[in-house]
Amino acid sequence: MTGKRYGRERKRDRVRIRLWIFGILAAALVLAAFFSRQLCPFDPDAQNLSMALEPPGFPHLLGTDRFGRDMLSRIIAGARVSVFSALALVAVITATGTVLGVICGYFGGLADAVMMRISDICLAFPGLVAAMGIAAVLGGGIQNAVIALAVVSWPKYARLARSQTLAVREEPYVAAARLAGGRPGQILIRHVLPNIAGSILVTALLDIGTMMMETAALSFLGLGAQPPTAEWGSMMSDGRSMLQTYPWVVLTPGGAIFLSVAIFNLLGDTLRDYLDPRRLWKKEERI
Amino acid sequence: MQPILEVKNLTVKFEEGSRKELTAVKDVSFCLYPNETLGIVGESGSGKSTVARAVTRLLQSSEGNIFLDGREITRLKGKALRDIYRKIQMVFQSPAASFDPRRTLGDGVGESMRNRGVERNTRKETVKKLMESCGLSEEFAGRYPHEVSGGQCQRAAIARALAAGPDILICDEATSALDVTVQAQVMELLEELKRRHRMSFLFISHDLALVQSFCDRVLVMKDGSVVEEGTPDQVIAHPKAAYTKELVEAVL
Repeated sequence: MTGKRYGRERKRDRVRIRLWIFGILAAALVLAAFFSRQLCPFDPDAQNLSMALEPPGFPHLLGTDRFGRDMLSRIIAGARVSVFSALALVAVITATGTVLGVICGYFGGLADAVMMRISDICLAFPGLVAAMGIAAVLGGGIQNAVIALAVVSWPKYARLARSQTLAVREEPYVAAARLAGGRPGQILIRHVLPNIAGSILVTALLDIGTMMMETAALSFLGLGAQPPTAEWGSMMSDGRSMLQTYPWVVLTPGGAIFLSVAIFNLLGDTLRDYLDPRRLWKKEERI
Repeated sequence: MQPILEVKNLTVKFEEGSRKELTAVKDVSFCLYPNETLGIVGESGSGKSTVARAVTRLLQSSEGNIFLDGREITRLKGKALRDIYRKIQMVFQSPAASFDPRRTLGDGVGESMRNRGVERNTRKETVKKLMESCGLSEEFAGRYPHEVSGGQCQRAAIARALAAGPDILICDEATSALDVTVQAQVMELLEELKRRHRMSFLFISHDLALVQSFCDRVLVMKDGSVVEEGTPDQVIAHPKAAYTKELVEAVL
């Protein structure tokens, strides 16, 4: 018994270490995006046709693209667009979805039924395709891509928050809060939200990666960031015809997307393990 | 004497699926008088807890009327509904689950005062006094529900109910989740409250012995209806209804 307990403790320590590592990596990414102007070794938009399509080396560590722009600088500058648009997107859909879901779940009734049918309609279309349609109607530009993705992604959070609220609503402590004379708004803020925040936070963290990929996908299709803005998706799109001849033009932004998506996904995964130790124990028992 | 709580023809129905209906409580009527302790006994599923939840308006009753101090509360809403909780309070069956896992016991005990706008320092003092009167030292105010035992949690739940200064305390199987020795201590606390405060109790339990020692009058429920009513000695020693006989025999 004690041995098993010890094993669990050790496992929890390992999860904590992983949480720190991925947390620091994600923080570094966000900081790099924030200070991208200062970090760029070259001007990301400065063209120099005599240096076009240089392979990785010195002084251009990751080579140059067909206009002779430094790839490393463009990737760092692109981080700003990619990371911040993904963060803003996730923040917006998490906030809207949670507020709507919690209210629908707690009060139920007609508003709930209407809201859930609207979210059904949004979920009926394949997300990225619908987002492409909306982005195309709104026109290019990263803000419009974010708006389009927000419109198709909020129902997931509304549904999650609603189902969690339905479960928490039946807890005796919510009944006790009503007996304490709490107004519905107070009960939602004091008791319901804090108790469902964990799972929503994990979903949001896991979604940062997905949203980064989807904004990159829209930019790749020309519906997001417009040239000459450095953005990973549009950089890949720019160089896709040169994959065989000058692979670094495509592979470096692709690698940047891969790395940042992986960091945010692993952070979300680890946070889920950390917040829900039961999951960890189940895994242990399966082994 | 005017009853402090009067329930007339209370019926509670639950929807099961789209067409089916389940009647959990059928046409139940009873009165609770000031300073009286009324017990409700019956097997699981007999509708005892549903009565408690309907009387405290946690559940909307389908038919019937509930009067608190002569005033009908069956359909109150908003502030008027919140105000009844200064007169009627409840202790729940599951001690730990009735406290928010993310808040301390002290927060829980003081919540009704916070909602009434009692100032922070006064609140802290009162919480401390209330918890002490329920046999919990000061340090428990800072503990979380998972850090204390079931008995301690139930004492805090009683302190929380008292914080509202109620005239009626409903104990919904308040001791059944506790083991026997702790149960005895919590019962002692309730006895003491009965002596000290002038309060009416609605004591819901499946434990006939507890009801016999604690209550002035008892209702026996089966399948959502009241089958027998009387003093505990009458009901337990000379049961009239066939079901009460069964219930008494099952214990002895």
